[in-house]
Amino acid sequence: MLTAEEAADLIAAIAARQDRAAFEALFRHYAPRVKAFVMRGGADAEAAQEVAQETLILVWRKAASFDRSRASASTWIFTIARNKRIDLIRRGTRPQIEVDDWLNAFVGEAQDAGKSVETEQTYTKVKAILADLSVDQLAVIRKAFFEDKTHTVIAEEMGLPLGTVKSRIRLALGRLREKLEKDEG
Amino acid sequence: MSRHMAPEELLLDYAAGGLAEGPALAVSVHVALDAGARRMVDRLGMLAGALLDGEREAAVGDEALLQTLARLDGMAVEARSEQAAAVAGPVWAPPPLRRYLGAASRWQHRRMGGFDEMPLHLHDGSHRASLLRLEPGRGLPQHRHIGDEYTVVMQGGFTDGSGSYAAGDFCVGPDEIHEPIADAGEPCIALIVLANPIVLTGPIGRYLNPLVRRGWL
Repeated sequence: MLTAEEAADLIAAIAARQDRAAFEALFRHYAPRVKAFVMRGGADAEAAQEVAQETLILVWRKAASFDRSRASASTWIFTIARNKRIDLIRRGTRPQIEVDDWLNAFVGEAQDAGKSVETEQTYTKVKAILADLSVDQLAVIRKAFFEDKTHTVIAEEMGLPLGTVKSRIRLALGRLREKLEKDEG
Repeated sequence: MSRHMAPEELLLDYAAGGLAEGPALAVSVHVALDAGARRMVDRLGMLAGALLDGEREAAVGDEALLQTLARLDGMAVEARSEQAAAVAGPVWAPPPLRRYLGAASRWQHRRMGGFDEMPLHLHDGSHRASLLRLEPGRGLPQHRHIGDEYTVVMQGGFTDGSGSYAAGDFCVGPDEIHEPIADAGEPCIALIVLANPIVLTGPIGRYLNPLVRRGWL
């Protein structure tokens, strides 16, 4: 298992010296997870593996643009994988959020070292909070992120009233906010 | 932080990339103007990363790794992409909106309604989008929506039966009849995104269509 800091260090090593060993470590961690994530959306193993490989290739090419003060490595890689999946499987009929756009939406502050430590720490907390969410809440959030479905479509598919899906989302995000803000004091 | 943030389920749809162009534009303008919405989208991004980290591992053989490593030969790590130069535009228009404002975009006075409108071009026909500008004290004619409506205030403010909305605020279409009035101060400038009515086809569709247009269905 890679920590947020280790993953960010590996990406930095690729950016600094085209470090193939660092790439291999990232590949071993992320390729199987990206493949599984893409298969959840209904893709077959072969197509999902292609998306995983293309995603990691883009991680290599774009390593210098990764800004650890703005996003965790996993968030950045998730965004690349998501766009690659739309590219390769759906052949994009919908304008997609570009990686840079999406990350630019987050924060406008200048890059600084303190901020990247904070980003990595917050990310570690978010990971821990996932374990506290109910199976029902997780199912809805996972569908949104992994299957590109809006909450309305999720409600239809799961045969649930829209209000139930909304309240699961709000409870899960409320829990996230509460825990993070308590720690921030 | 503004008083009216987009509902969290809509921020989730946005962060997950599931929204159609029109609603995605409305949410991105809101996120650009509202620190609270920005923080939530940021956290949602972390949540997505955490889900990926916690994902089970599908088998990826060494062969795939070797194949990928071979493709890296001669493939340079690209130089850091410079932040794209800020797109020029009016001060009240946040960057995600500026891309939709072309040389041909200008305010058109709607004499009937007593407001100015600047229609925006969306690539996706499921929604239409416009900027509206209302002088203080002026209102939109009373209207009712048949589909989803998303409003983001960018300058000034307005008040309707459901409350007061200031710059950065987000409003999801009221189901009720409403009659927004611009607040005192600067003219109110807002982005409005409306779902296009579904066009039914076929003999029954043609019969129903006028009813859909009048909002009876």
